[in-house]
Amino acid sequence: MRKIILPSLCLVLATCSPKLPSSYGTSDSTPTVFPDYKDITIPCNIAPMNFVIEEQADAYITVLESGTARAVVKGKTVRIPKPKWNKLISDPEITVQVYVRKDRQWTAYAPFSMTVSDDIDPYISYRIIPVAVESYEKLSLRQRNLTNFKEKVFLSNTMIQNNVQGTCINCHYYKNWETDNMMFHVRHYKGGTVLVLDGQLHKVNMKTDSTISAGVYPSWHPTHDYIALSNNKTHQSVHAASHDKLEVMDEENDIILYDTRNNTVSVIENDSCEMECFPGWSADGRTLYYVSAHYDAPFGPDRKNKIFLDREMLHFNLYSKSFDPDTRVWGKSRLIYDAAAVDSSMTWPRTSPDGRWMVCCNSTHGIFPLDQIASDFVIFDLKDNSYRYADEINSQYAESYHCWSSNGKWLMFSTRREDGVHTRLYFSHIDESGHFSKPFTLPQRDPDFNREFLNAFNIPEFMKEPVHITARQFASFISATQATQSKYESKRGE
Amino acid sequence: MSQTFPDSNKKLTQKLMAYLPVLLAAVLWCILTFKEYYYLKKVEDLSIFLFDKLLILESFKIPGGFLGLAGSFLTQFLHLPWLGALIWVMLLLLTYYLTITVFRIPENLRPLAIIPVALLVIGNMSLGYGVFIMREQDHFFAPLLGYLAALIPISATGRINGLWGKILFLSVWIISGFILLGTFAFTGALAAACAILVREGLIRRERITLFALTAVMIAVVPLVIYPLYTSYRMADSWILGLPSISEDVWTRPMRTPLQLALLYQILMALASDKLSVQKLSAFKNLVIQVSIYIISIASVWAFWFKDENFHTELAMSEAVDRYDWNGTLEIFRKAAGSHTDSDAKAYASRTKEISGASSSQEISDIVDKYSGRFFEPTRTMVLYRDLALLKLNRALDEAFTYKDGGRLQKSRKQIPMAFQSGKQFYMQYGLVNMAYRWCLEDIIEHNWSFSTLKYLTLHCNIMQESDFAYKYINKLEKTIFYRKWARQQMSISHDSTLMATSEPYKSILPYMCFENRMSNDNVKTEAFIINHFLDKEPPHPSAEYDRAALLFAMRIQDIPRFWERLLYYVDSNDFKTLPHAVQEAALLYSTLENKKTNLPYDKSVIENYERFDSFVKNNPVRNIKESAYPYSQKFGSTFYYFYYFTRNLQTY
Repeated sequence: MRKIILPSLCLVLATCSPKLPSSYGTSDSTPTVFPDYKDITIPCNIAPMNFVIEEQADAYITVLESGTARAVVKGKTVRIPKPKWNKLISDPEITVQVYVRKDRQWTAYAPFSMTVSDDIDPYISYRIIPVAVESYEKLSLRQRNLTNFKEKVFLSNTMIQNNVQGTCINCHYYKNWETDNMMFHVRHYKGGTVLVLDGQLHKVNMKTDSTISAGVYPSWHPTHDYIALSNNKTHQSVHAASHDKLEVMDEENDIILYDTRNNTVSVIENDSCEMECFPGWSADGRTLYYVSAHYDAPFGPDRKNKIFLDREMLHFNLYSKSFDPDTRVWGKSRLIYDAAAVDSSMTWPRTSPDGRWMVCCNSTHGIFPLDQIASDFVIFDLKDNSYRYADEINSQYAESYHCWSSNGKWLMFSTRREDGVHTRLYFSHIDESGHFSKPFTLPQRDPDFNREFLNAFNIPEFMKEPVHITARQFASFISATQATQSKYESKRGE
Repeated sequence: MSQTFPDSNKKLTQKLMAYLPVLLAAVLWCILTFKEYYYLKKVEDLSIFLFDKLLILESFKIPGGFLGLAGSFLTQFLHLPWLGALIWVMLLLLTYYLTITVFRIPENLRPLAIIPVALLVIGNMSLGYGVFIMREQDHFFAPLLGYLAALIPISATGRINGLWGKILFLSVWIISGFILLGTFAFTGALAAACAILVREGLIRRERITLFALTAVMIAVVPLVIYPLYTSYRMADSWILGLPSISEDVWTRPMRTPLQLALLYQILMALASDKLSVQKLSAFKNLVIQVSIYIISIASVWAFWFKDENFHTELAMSEAVDRYDWNGTLEIFRKAAGSHTDSDAKAYASRTKEISGASSSQEISDIVDKYSGRFFEPTRTMVLYRDLALLKLNRALDEAFTYKDGGRLQKSRKQIPMAFQSGKQFYMQYGLVNMAYRWCLEDIIEHNWSFSTLKYLTLHCNIMQESDFAYKYINKLEKTIFYRKWARQQMSISHDSTLMATSEPYKSILPYMCFENRMSNDNVKTEAFIINHFLDKEPPHPSAEYDRAALLFAMRIQDIPRFWERLLYYVDSNDFKTLPHAVQEAALLYSTLENKKTNLPYDKSVIENYERFDSFVKNNPVRNIKESAYPYSQKFGSTFYYFYYFTRNLQTY
């Protein structure tokens, strides 16, 4: 019996696997594919780079070849089997050849390639959020295994909030890409900052009488138990007639230092004429980068409206500040980039793990690049503080939140390049001279996912490992635990 | 003494009773199709069903999601109200007959099966303004499907032999049913356990076993299943699948009819054995049957949301979405016209009562008491009407010839206009980013809908954001009823010439002559639109923009603003004579300000104003509300009347 079944099965499989056309014409151009994965550099441990061929034809055959492996996929949607993909990415270059049949005539498009490069952290996390103005209803923090397509929710606000009181969850962050020490904020109902410290859950309230708000945008110190955070009083307004639909502005900004072991908060910068935000530690933790805009308007009920009227005058400069993590003594602030001098605004400074590069968002004004079409990335070489626009990864739409992989070889960022509104995640490889490769979007099982998905990706972060605490554990803890009040302590030295 | 019927009458009565449900269903279908046409259209407009993998998969991310999906699938057919209503009515009939079958209701008590049907009808038709703030827009069909699904275990366990077979079935039902149907699986299982208890003659130990296992399963299954989901609170596990609304004051009244229908299942399961042994005389039977019908029908009628302004708003909204401006006006005119007699009667009664009043406070109380009996439009109706008049370029002649007012919604809580019709007004007045904003708020607070997809598409096309537009057009192409519309929008998105000549774009674009500015409506749509038009004159205003601005200046009765906007209007508009209402306003204001103007007034305007002036002298106004009606009979179509008698209107 076995003698009959096995050969029959082989025969069936053989007839099922697509045959390459024996004769065909050639085209000088490469085919249009979505997502655009043509001539990109990819990590050696990434999930299959599935794509759709955007050419009208009656039949499609795609051949993916590397030094030792080969995969042939039939159809407009190219879904590459994982075992074959794993073999393909074990070689340094994959060539992709697409054949299409139109009017009984096969055509071979010019091949394109994917260069296989350094590995990438196996996990990322992000927030999935509806495109929104003020309200929120369904938000979730999710982690995705980059080596395959598995995605898991590790917290959803619908597990906490009720019909009357909503809960916002935001700004998740990890210490050194490891999930045993991580944090995120819970706002409004059951609010507080959730900290995971050596695997143990804590919930704290960082708002003190001496600070303007609870902590917002975080940066975890690489070696010590500190988190630098901004304090923000944020408001939103709608552009009556502009492709930029929203303007997000802060009425006030300061930056604070949170001591995770002692649950204390101290001010880093709170000049009343300055709006300080987006703290980001250097790789060695001895310098804090941040941005600040000079704004001298009286505090009071009119300040909020005034700041929207003055929005185009708000230019955030880039500063650094030395820090001794052992004594917690701060040095003086130093201007790194005078954005105001060139009518621009610098935000989100994030340095590479080797300390060589820093990428920031740059826009015409204001503090919230996500909603500004003009927002682009700028890369600083911290060796000599030279900078340039990273045009190889910028697009016509807003580039916003970005982070470095733990080996410093990859930059992940959110961008609205696909349709101008829905934020998607893109990756790019950086070489030794600080040049980025052509960016590519997060691979999905269904390559049409980005076009079909109506929510946005937000705050992407690399992780070396998955978050081990389950959604249920987080939700139960947040629901059952009162936030512990942080204590305020004075800033040390300057 | 028992009363008896002759046999022929008895047969006729039996026949009548047998066909009565069908007859009632036919009547219900007619009422829905003809009287609730716009309500059904609105329910559909606010719902969504796409033949879309992501949407379908999303529905399985919460227990009971499948029920919602099935409900949404059926809701789309309300696009053709006759068809959607037919499906709903047929399902109600099915509910009636299955209730009889499953609970083995004897012939003489069959009308009992009308009770859950009536409750399900009440659940849908009492919602009123709540329709705008439902969290899931499957509420029209999903509860009915849930009720029907809950009958399955009751019926199935009746066909399974042996207690353990029944318990096994119930266990499987509770697990799979909870995943697919949410809480309906539990009520069905509970009712089935009750039916087994009553019908099977179990011994005490078996009874305890049956109930203990069912109760434990209902208590434990949600807890065991909870870690598989990340989309809800554990505390909500036992109410999943029930309709949900974003205002808490609505939750209980909205869910109660459905919960009673589910309670009915349990009670009927417990009573089914007893019902079968009742022997009643024919007369008593008839009385009981007729009473049940009368009570059920009366309850449906009593709870049915019949508010006329609500229905007028829905009809006007639908006409606005079709850009049928004459139709919009006609609906308003009809609504106002239908109250001529009732207003006159209310006035006569009020006058009679006032004549017996002894103090001004008493008169004021009587006036307040009667104020609800006079026709008064809501602000939404007035805004729809003004919008239509502006689009037809008749506003400055006719806007004040219609009845005005600001009647509050007959509603548990005032639904902000922003949620009800904000995106329509903002879009039509060229405030497309505000329309976009309210689409997003709507999606987040209440879910996606056909309506938001359509308005987002319009927004993207107007802003010439074709990549963005494609996203929504692509989704609408996955529908049955909006595919064609989506394809039209696709061609418009690539062709600005076509856009300039197509509705609604051609009547929206002229309003988009203003400069960009930061704005926030604070959920006050009308005030925001008025402020927008009166705030700052655009550098290159269109005639349409200045017409709207002048109308809004007249609406807020701000005299300096009126003169200012009149100058802008004169600059940008071509006319032979000033529009009628503008002349009236100019004449009134110049008189009030004792200011001489050399405006060319029509003779009829001057004569009418003189009549008004003399009427005022002879009929002094002691109470504005009291005098409004008699004045409206003579001067109700003038700006003077509006100025003096329509003040301090509330907006929302």
